[in-house]
Formats: sequence, C-alpha cells, structure tokens
Amino acid sequence: MPAPFTISESDNSSRTFKSGFAASIFESPVFVPSSDVLQAVPGFDTSSLVTLIWIAFFALTFLYQTRIQSYLALSEISRGLNKLKVMKDKARKDAIDYLVNVGKAPNDPTQRVDQFLDYVTIMPVDMDPNGLVGKVDHVVTINNDRVRAEVGALLNQNNPVTVSISENLLEVATSLNQIHKIVRHFYLLGKKTNSYFTLVQLQMLMPMIIQEADALLNATDSFKMGQPVGDGIGPVVVSRLMAGKDKRVIAKDTVMAVTEYKGRNLYVLKADGPMAYVGQPGVAIQKIVGEMGVKPSAIVMIDAALKLEGEKTGEIAEGVGAAIGGIGVEKFQIEEAATKAKVPLYAILVKQSLLEAITVMRKEIAEAADKVTQVLNRVIEEKTKEGDDVVVAGIGNTLGVAQ
Amino acid sequence: MMSPVPGPDKKTKLLVYTIEECPACGQKTKRAFAVGDYVTKEAAKCSKCGNSTRVSLVYAEGQKPSG
Ligand SMILES: [Zn+2]
Repeated sequence: MPAPFTISESDNSSRTFKSGFAASIFESPVFVPSSDVLQAVPGFDTSSLVTLIWIAFFALTFLYQTRIQSYLALSEISRGLNKLKVMKDKARKDAIDYLVNVGKAPNDPTQRVDQFLDYVTIMPVDMDPNGLVGKVDHVVTINNDRVRAEVGALLNQNNPVTVSISENLLEVATSLNQIHKIVRHFYLLGKKTNSYFTLVQLQMLMPMIIQEADALLNATDSFKMGQPVGDGIGPVVVSRLMAGKDKRVIAKDTVMAVTEYKGRNLYVLKADGPMAYVGQPGVAIQKIVGEMGVKPSAIVMIDAALKLEGEKTGEIAEGVGAAIGGIGVEKFQIEEAATKAKVPLYAILVKQSLLEAITVMRKEIAEAADKVTQVLNRVIEEKTKEGDDVVVAGIGNTLGVAQ
Repeated sequence: MMSPVPGPDKKTKLLVYTIEECPACGQKTKRAFAVGDYVTKEAAKCSKCGNSTRVSLVYAEGQKPSG
C-alpha cells in the first residue's frame, strides 16, 4: 500500500496540492529528523527539545487538571457505587429470606418487598413552622402503622418479635436502596454535565457514605438473630428496675412500671421488648406529666450517644436536656412536657459509634450498664428528695431486651 | 449456636454470649448466645442455690486468640 505522501520521482504532474505541500516540507532540510540537521540550527539541541516537551506537559496538566481530577473522581465513585449496589442487594435478599424462612410468608414476597423499597414518606411543608412537629408526627405515625400492617399481611404469623424484626430489616434495605439511588443520581448527573465540583464533592463524601452503609448492612445480622444492639443500653438499665413489677402499656409500643428507690417513686418506662421497638417515650412522658397528674421533680433519660472519633466505647457522659435521637418529634414532646411542668431533664449517655449502636451490643457497652445504674442512683439521690416522683426513661431500640 | 459477626477492624470476629444471673445469690454463668435469648428471659436453674436464673446481658466479645 503506497504511503500517502510518497512522491513519484518520474511524474511530478500527478502530485495533488496536499501531497505536494507535504512533500515540499519533507524535502526541506529543517524538518528532516536528523540530529545533524537539528544541531545545525542555531540554539536548537536535544536538551531544548526535552525542555519543550516538559513545558508542553506542564501546560497540558495545568489546562486539563480538572478533567483529569474528574476522571479520577468518576472512577472512584463508580467503584463505591458498585459496593453500594452489592450492599443494597444483600440487604434486600436478607429481608426476603427472613420473611420466607422465619416469617413463613405464604407467597413469594419479592414483588411486595421491591414496592416497599421505593415507598416514600412525604414530609409536611415547613414554610409555616407553627405546629410542624404535630404534622411530622402524624405523617411518621401513618408510615409506621402502614409498615407494620403491610409486614403483618406478608407474614403467615403474628409473632410480634418476628414482625418487628421484619420491619427493621425492610427499613435497613430501604435506607440502603435510598443511599444507592442518591449516590447514583449525583454520579450520573456529574458525569452528564461534566461538573467537576459535583464529582469532587461526592468523591470526598464517599468514604463516609460507604462506612454508614456498611454499618447498616452489619445491623441486619444482629436483627435477624434478635440480639440486643448497642442502642439498647438504656432499655437494659431500665429493664432491671422494671423486673418483677406490674407493667402497663402507656403509649404505642411503650411500657411503664412504678417502682421505688430510697423513698422516691420511680415512673420507669421503655419500649416494649424484646421486640425491635423504639416506642413513643415522648407521648409516654406527656401522659405521665399530663393525664396521670404526676409532678416529677426530675426526668432522667438514659440513651446511647454517638461518640466522637477518639472517645472510648462504653464511656458514660452526664448532662442536662432531652437525650433522644430520631427526627425530633419525641424530643420536642419531652422538652415541651418538661418545660410546661418546669421539670429538670437529666441525661445519662453511653458513648458508642454508629456501627456499635446498630449492631450487637459490645461487651464494653453492656458492662457500662452497672456504672449507668450507679450514676442513675446518684443523680436521683442528689437531685431529688424522699417522697419525690421521678421519671426514668430508657431510650433506644429494645430488640432482645424485655422487661 | 455461635454467631460470629465482623469486629471493628474486620479481622477479629466477635462472638455473642448470654449472661445468666441468679437473682438470689448473684451467681453469673456465661454461655453462647442462642436464638430466642433476650434480657430478663428466664433461664436455667442456678448451679449454686437452685433458684431460677434470668438472662441479665447479651453481648459480643472479640474471639480469644487461644480459641
Ligand atoms: Zn443462685
């Protein structure tokens, strides 16, 4: 095959303009790639060529650095996204397997589970924040009731522990599904619009997102077995006070018992275990202070708290204020009830990481139970006197912790 | 039934135990967690005084190197 710029020596008339031009360049002595010639040009040698290449390299890197960074970010996010996909598929499969194997679902629940994963809860508008908490509470309660009813309908039994575990497994699968979807959205958006900043922000968040997703996935193992989780430390402490006492349901999934400590009447409450419930401690405290007409001189709340990196797991912290997480409805209700009745709120917190809070309770956390009891007793003795009423609330998921 | 779960550094496996405590004499027994165990559940008779014990804690602990 003839090279495009080969010049026929015999027939100069057949040259096209292009090939003729090319030929003239190739024939000119400057462009002949011979070192003799290069050195013949004044001020042009091999080291200059190397310098030129370096300058070109730096110029290109300078001009295209965001492109290169975007490319690196894309490949890193894509790897993370694959991990998230594997995680959400596993959580979904775990939930389905649990429904079939333990819940004895009579029909294949796969289709219902897939619908469940995409179910949305639309939060109320917050332009006019007056009465917003009530609206949020309303929407969240509707959703919780729906989840329980749907899970109950899927299963061929109504063992409350199995139903509550199924609810939690489905919630984990839904969360992972959401995380995957959102990350995928920003990945594709960044890729499509070639938005350097979208991609780099996502890349920076990716390790934290993966860590959180990993914690969620690990939680499914403890849930399936019905093991208490780190978040259940408050209920563990409170269950000891409730042992052998008469229990009554005071709010949805929430039980209360009245007991006595050194002359004080303790109104002790926790979610109803050993189901995987968190209950409604806000409603319960409102009822105790309101309907029941109790005038407590202190409300003590025991809860797990997220530790900062570097803090030790199982460390106990004391404080004031409503110690409760979640979206804020319960916290609001407790604060409102306490403020109205002018009752001081005391908090006893057990430090743990997110992973430790939602997976099987670690020894360090479980062993903090005795110390928490000592702190609780001291707080009651210091802040109240004999004959006083005191509310003690164990906040957290009561999976594997009865009363 | 032992259920190893990944520990904080993924290398150490955690094993889950159930602690049974006698309310009368305080005797504590540690055994492997079995599905269905929960805190306050009534457990085996106390080996010391014969009272019925209760599950006081369920927790996970890193596997001992010796096994
Ligand atoms: Zn005994």
